[in-house]
Amino acid sequence: MSAVSLALWTVRFLVVALVVAGTIGTILKDRYTTAQWFEFVLFGLTIGSLYAQVALGYTMVYGVLRLINFAHGDIMMCGAFAGYFVATPLENSGFLEVHPVLGMTAILAAGMVVSGVIAVLTERIAYRPFRRVQGFAPLICAFGVSFFLEQTFRGLFGSSVKSYPAPKWEGVEFHWAGLSVPGVDVLVIVLAVAFMAVLYLIVQKTRMGMAMRAVSEDGEAAALMGVDVGKVIVFTFALGGAMAGIAGVFYAFLFKQVYFYMGFTPGIKAFGGAVLGGIGSVPGAMLGGFFLGLVESVGPSLFLDGIGIKAPYELRDVIAYTLMILVLVFRPQGILGEHMAKKRA
Amino acid sequence: MALLELSDVQVFYDKIEALKGISLSVEAGRIATLVGANGAGKSTTLRAVSGLIHPRAGTIRYDGTTLAGRQPHEITAMGLVQVPEGRRIFGRLTVEENLAMGAFTRHDRRGIAEDRERLLQLFPRLRERLRQVAGTLSGGEQQMVATARALMARPSMLLMDEPSMGLAPMLVEQVFETIRTINADGVTILLVEQNALMALSIADHGYVLESGRIVLSGPGRDLLDDERVRHAYLG
Repeated sequence: MSAVSLALWTVRFLVVALVVAGTIGTILKDRYTTAQWFEFVLFGLTIGSLYAQVALGYTMVYGVLRLINFAHGDIMMCGAFAGYFVATPLENSGFLEVHPVLGMTAILAAGMVVSGVIAVLTERIAYRPFRRVQGFAPLICAFGVSFFLEQTFRGLFGSSVKSYPAPKWEGVEFHWAGLSVPGVDVLVIVLAVAFMAVLYLIVQKTRMGMAMRAVSEDGEAAALMGVDVGKVIVFTFALGGAMAGIAGVFYAFLFKQVYFYMGFTPGIKAFGGAVLGGIGSVPGAMLGGFFLGLVESVGPSLFLDGIGIKAPYELRDVIAYTLMILVLVFRPQGILGEHMAKKRA
Repeated sequence: MALLELSDVQVFYDKIEALKGISLSVEAGRIATLVGANGAGKSTTLRAVSGLIHPRAGTIRYDGTTLAGRQPHEITAMGLVQVPEGRRIFGRLTVEENLAMGAFTRHDRRGIAEDRERLLQLFPRLRERLRQVAGTLSGGEQQMVATARALMARPSMLLMDEPSMGLAPMLVEQVFETIRTINADGVTILLVEQNALMALSIADHGYVLESGRIVLSGPGRDLLDDERVRHAYLG
């Protein structure tokens, strides 16, 4: 056994030991009530559903372009801003209170359209010239797009944190078997799942979706079949952008904050979700996003409380990033992905 | 009338000249073949015709119009379809979806359904595997998918790059039989092959390519009997 594999096995063993010890410790301590655990899980699913939506954009763009669109989190931010600019007057005029469905539809539509359009523009202006370029240049271009979007929004709308309107109906709670379920969480999860189901159907059942899958596998062969690869790429950016726009609106709705830098952390997390599920795989991105959300929400209390860490929740990002690193080291192809080496060069 | 005509086509990969001025023509309804050793420029020729690479000089005309500056998908839409080397089927798509991809440029639902039925009669094995993911098929079956996929475009002309590559001898016979059948249905064929014996024996016209140049051409039968060809390619 080589030194490297010995080291890797040690890391594996330590991680498992830590997780098991922490979990047992937490269970023995019995510090959290069932209601609290339920809260962790529900919040994990809520935030996970947003990661999943954003992860879809990463995975689909990676599929057709083999590009990590580092600016995708910022595309989400654009949608959050668009939603904010629609939500604020709607709330101030009282419309959002009286017509929650119509109001939310308008807000989501704004987020979807703006994010979708900006995603398409970034492709047209920034990524297209790099389409045939090998190496790191396209990735560095993506970093540039990310900074450009952030700083543009900062310049246009200031660097202050804007508070998102909180309509009264969002305080609704459902009660079920002694547990209270916040209405907002249900709304976010249900709508996110519904939108993802629609996206999945588009990818699986439509002509454009089929072309997208074909291009992901072999762009040149798809072109030889008569597929306009450029069009498919635009379609992919639009679809992923719209999805990120929805996620941005929900993210702002949950955390009540909108600012130019807000896309960064969820963007990285969603990227982690996409890698976790297997980058390039659409179901993988959904699965990975949910999984990351759950681990990040439940993990700190479950794994860390038991080993005596005082405020484990503060370490949720550490858990999320550790999970990402572990995946990259031990299963780089992700849960549903295949080995990169198997893919056509 | 020549359906496909290349005149003095030059292709460079960076500074390396892959095609040093190729001229050839394929008559409508015929089978032409391009034979030669590995690296002679056979695939490069087909890639240039399909618009995957752009010649530095020379013209390629198909059905009377120049292909200069056209994208691969536009060329396919003109009825000039390539079955690429190594088959390149979509392994994660089902056989059914692969066939649908072949008909991507068409919008006549009824015609597509008819062609699909006809091709499933030509390749009955594929009917059993319609819902199967194409990557799980055997090499011979994958070649069937690749050929059927290209024919779903209802092409006037087919460019076939090494269709017999990697197949067992019995399957190779079958592939060439299929090529004859397709041609008998009126599809013009330009066949690129390393298996010069088989290719020349079914071709109306053959071209021998050597390091980016056509060194010999003539009716397939004549080339088969040619001393130089026999010596170089047929052993």
